[in-house]
Amino acid sequence: MQEIINEKVSVIMTYNQSSGLVKPEKIKWQGRVHTIETIGYHHKFHEGKKLIHIFSVADRCLAFRLRFDSDTLHWTLEEISDGNPN
Amino acid sequence: MEIQISRSKPTIMHIDLNSCFASAEQQANPLLRGKPIAVAAYSSPNGCVLSPSIEAKRLGIKVGMRVKDARHLCKGIVIRTPDPPKYRDIHLKFCKLFRDYSPLVVPKSIDEAVLDFADTAILYQSLARVGKEIKQRMRIEIGEWISCNIGIASNRFLAKLAASLHKPDGLDVIDHHNLLQIYAQVKLIDLNGINIRYQSRLNACGIFTPLDFFKASEEKLEKQVFRSIVGRYWYYKLRGFETDAIEPKRKSFGQTYSLGKPTDDPAKLAPMLMKLCEKMGRRLRRGNFVASGIHLAILYWDRTFWHQSKLFHTTLFTTQELFAKTMLLFNYQPQLKTVANLSVSCFGLQSISTQQLSLFELDRTRQHQLALAVDKINDRYGEYVLTPALMMGMKDLIIDRVAFGGVRELEDLYHLDN
Repeated sequence: MQEIINEKVSVIMTYNQSSGLVKPEKIKWQGRVHTIETIGYHHKFHEGKKLIHIFSVADRCLAFRLRFDSDTLHWTLEEISDGNPN
Repeated sequence: MEIQISRSKPTIMHIDLNSCFASAEQQANPLLRGKPIAVAAYSSPNGCVLSPSIEAKRLGIKVGMRVKDARHLCKGIVIRTPDPPKYRDIHLKFCKLFRDYSPLVVPKSIDEAVLDFADTAILYQSLARVGKEIKQRMRIEIGEWISCNIGIASNRFLAKLAASLHKPDGLDVIDHHNLLQIYAQVKLIDLNGINIRYQSRLNACGIFTPLDFFKASEEKLEKQVFRSIVGRYWYYKLRGFETDAIEPKRKSFGQTYSLGKPTDDPAKLAPMLMKLCEKMGRRLRRGNFVASGIHLAILYWDRTFWHQSKLFHTTLFTTQELFAKTMLLFNYQPQLKTVANLSVSCFGLQSISTQQLSLFELDRTRQHQLALAVDKINDRYGEYVLTPALMMGMKDLIIDRVAFGGVRELEDLYHLDN
């Protein structure tokens, strides 16, 4: 099941200078903390001159689509999915 | 004179991503991996399946099927709608990776590219080994769920055929040693460029298999089967000689929209046409062109079709100019019927620098400058920040799509990337 959320969330992110990897580690959404286990894909695109990063990540039972606005530095949880049909 | 099979070294590599959109969704969402999923234009029952995953293909789900038919074949299929920025990102990443191997990378569509290794130092290695390395790097650098088919041959046609032999994740080489064996294994319809109509034309001339096609003389193909120079091109490309290494020049810009809710109301159709003209106009202006003709095609709900094109004395540049001429054609319709699909294109392109300036129409120059200023604002703050009033409330209606099979829209993609 896929659900559109579009809510601001808190995110803890790490940057590893030796590997150059940037990774969202934890998301706090509606009072619950989800620990990210897999980074599925990271892509970016422009909305005008604004650069938007999309991190498609997952914990054990939910996949999250996170949007990072490089202009405001805000994180938005755009959608969640449990991988089952709607 | 009979021409023998080309004995030149295979230097063309065709790379085709497997189930590109569906694999991209499975890459992004690990919970979808290994499951039958499909990317469809719309998730509604009549939505058209654009890309079934490898697992869905095994269940008989094919491109072009309706979502409801796909659900009949697999009740638990997961349907996703397209995410064009993700697919464009994958396209840009794989093209960048391919440029590490060859300076001549020609994208053929959002999920296909041709690499030409002629005169490159890499030819001292085996191209099959290079192909394996590319596959491995794609999995590491783009995503572990992204796989591709690779075909290697002496021309683009045979390289594409080689890439279609073992799906998914295949790698095949066609050269003068195995060409006839390969032709003996495939059907006419498997050859790139042969559709049902061409197949019946070939059948009518006694050609039923690729081997018959190969054995047909140049004269027969040119004078009897194709009745044009196309027959001669086929004669050469079937033997491994290059006839397709031509990059077509842009002749038009066009936009299409399939209506979710078909309607015959001109008040509802006009804003849609305006949005199509705005999208088309943005691409026209970005390419530094002006147009002198408009083509409007309408597919009605009763499956009938009407189209009209017209050349104008004045050149068209702004969205308003394009829209005014489109509405002129729209009103030529003999009968107002329920519309299912709208398609607008502009043609007769000239470079803006060679455009004839008018001594008397100063307002026009101002309008052109205004259009460029509006484009600049939209480039800075995002699409449709400033739009014609007629387009109000249309932002989410004609949404972003990836063109199927076409490469022309990729020009816009490279523009966005820079």
